[in-house]
Amino acid sequence: MIKGAVAIFKRDFKKFLGNPFVIIFTLLMPIMYLVIFGNAMGGSISHVSIAVVQEEPYVHEPPLFTAFVDDLKHTAQKDNPPTFDVAVYTDELKAKRALQGGVVSGVLVLPSPLFVDRPIRLYVDSSDSVTPTVIISGVNAALVQSGSHNQVEINKIYGDIKYIQFFGVGVIVMAIFMTTMMGGGIALIKDREMGIIEGYFVTPVKRSSIIMGMIASGTVRAFLSGFVIFIVDLLITGIIIQTPENFFMVLLVLFITSIGITSFMVSMASRFSNQQEYASMSAFFNLILFMTSGAFYPVIGMPDWLRWITIINPEYYAVHALRSIILRGQGIDVIGTDLIALCIFSVAAMILGIATYRRTLE
Amino acid sequence: MSPPAANSDEQEDALQHLKSRGYCSPEQCVIRIEHLTKTFQDKQRTVTAVDDVTFDVKRGEIFGLLGPNGAGKSTLIRILTTLLKPTSGTAFVDVYEITRDPEKIRGIIGVCPQNSTLDNELTAYDNLEFYGKLEDVDDRILPDRIWELLAMVGLTDRAHMKVQTFSGGMKRKLEIVRAFIHRPLILFLDEPTIGLDPESRREVWQQIEHLNAENTTIILTTHYMDEAEKLCGRIAFVDRGRLISLDTMDNLRLLLPAGDLIEIGFDRLDDRIISAIRAHDLVISADVKEQRLYITAKNGNTILPAILAIFDRYAVTITAISIRSPSLEDVFIYLTGKNLSDGGGSNGAQGGGGVPAPDRRRPS
Repeated sequence: MIKGAVAIFKRDFKKFLGNPFVIIFTLLMPIMYLVIFGNAMGGSISHVSIAVVQEEPYVHEPPLFTAFVDDLKHTAQKDNPPTFDVAVYTDELKAKRALQGGVVSGVLVLPSPLFVDRPIRLYVDSSDSVTPTVIISGVNAALVQSGSHNQVEINKIYGDIKYIQFFGVGVIVMAIFMTTMMGGGIALIKDREMGIIEGYFVTPVKRSSIIMGMIASGTVRAFLSGFVIFIVDLLITGIIIQTPENFFMVLLVLFITSIGITSFMVSMASRFSNQQEYASMSAFFNLILFMTSGAFYPVIGMPDWLRWITIINPEYYAVHALRSIILRGQGIDVIGTDLIALCIFSVAAMILGIATYRRTLE
Repeated sequence: MSPPAANSDEQEDALQHLKSRGYCSPEQCVIRIEHLTKTFQDKQRTVTAVDDVTFDVKRGEIFGLLGPNGAGKSTLIRILTTLLKPTSGTAFVDVYEITRDPEKIRGIIGVCPQNSTLDNELTAYDNLEFYGKLEDVDDRILPDRIWELLAMVGLTDRAHMKVQTFSGGMKRKLEIVRAFIHRPLILFLDEPTIGLDPESRREVWQQIEHLNAENTTIILTTHYMDEAEKLCGRIAFVDRGRLISLDTMDNLRLLLPAGDLIEIGFDRLDDRIISAIRAHDLVISADVKEQRLYITAKNGNTILPAILAIFDRYAVTITAISIRSPSLEDVFIYLTGKNLSDGGGSNGAQGGGGVPAPDRRRPS
């Protein structure tokens, strides 16, 4: 009995040691979780842009205005960059437009010195789960400092958005990633193991045709799963899409995201020929891309080095675009950049896939 | 059977001839291999899977590539089917060079690899249709072609069943006709009957002969002697990456020192018969033992009528007659001094599996 157990132990252990790639990635995973998850979630918020407007009529700079601007500018947690980036607007309308366009996260309107009894009005972008709280507490602190007794009237421009609604958008993107990386990629590698890919190689079919075919089928699959999760998300979180245009815009974003992530998956999967290695690799990418996408926690709460990753992270643009449409009802003017970024990523991944795809067995 | 103690000049010549490339003229020639070498690098060692191989394959023949496991047959096939690049040397398939025009070559060959590349989750029909589209078969003729192929292997009634429900023989036959869907000029079959029962093997053989009858050159690797004897016009022996000999089956038999063994039973024998038989050119020896005459002769098939005529002339009744050709296996043992089915394993230098086929699961 012992002999058999020892034999099995030895065999398993030999296989374990024989695959250094998997060992490295299994050890790297928890470390990455620690570093990325730990930093991406619950980092201290900084550089929240806030617009401050002085209500007309006024002469020079009223003391309340100066006090608030000064105070907000100097709010910071210990050893951290300033919490707020204060932008002074002279026109309330312009400031509000900036808020709607996502340029600033809040607008603070201070009452005219002639009407001291008027409340201080605060408009916040409530589609973000974290920044409104930061802004409100910052404004309250500044109010106490200034010694004024004005009331603060808080307006959430997108109404009360629950965390589940905020998070749900991220899950749609995750569905796309999971379908392609886990489902599609593993199937591709299984095909290679089964020799089906070898069957392709002895036919005149071109390398680019193989890649395009794989990307096309993967994209449709990813799009369908993204679409299903989108509908489920709407039903569960009770979000209502305002206009048909917005609905189609969501589909467009889902589609481009699907192409991008599928192309990325195909270019990765054609490099790997071992399911285990590929699985650890895709888990790693899932972690790093999803964590830095802003799906869980606003990107603004991340340390700078992590924020750099978001710049090349297609999921960040997808989450941002979907959130803009679904939660804020914004249009092409806001998500245009996201779409361009997603397209660039898709094309780059496709070129990488075709360029590196091995047409022979070696 | 062991190499003869002293080679006669004739045998030397035959051997010399066999070691040549089996040259054929350019218009006859469908594959031309020139000094092809393939080495695989490993961390610890370098393995030469194909070692300076040179030979030609004639248009329209069934060409057998024989050798033990790990002899380099599959590697050679993979190079010719553009799956691997040679380390040095070159080869032409039809008029195309393997590294310069791989795309062109892929269009004119059909390949049935050693390990199944059928998609088990698709039906027989879908597998053929998929492959037909990859091979760029005209969509208008493709459905008819698929049904024709399915009928050829008797799978018409199972056309819409998933391949995973098929027996090994059915899968193999399906894969062979799949490789033939675009009527290739050359068909490569890597161990077509490995692991099949005798009945299925016979069916596959029939299939191969049938395809050959449609003017397809067939290159077949095998380590089954009977298969090569049954099917192949010419046979190349490969061992440890080297081409040992190349010739027709009949010429290969010439190599055997003993020739064919003819055994004749009789009631009463005339001594004149024995001397008449011994006088024949091709007879090596003739001895009588216990009411039986044992004759060893070169080319027994052709001498048999002459022997029968001698018996006839002296009016001696034959009670039994048998002729046993030395098998290809005997030739192989003679050439390499080892048993074909031993594989590379019997050879200490190669260790275990012999030359590893390029493992597609872990390419580097």
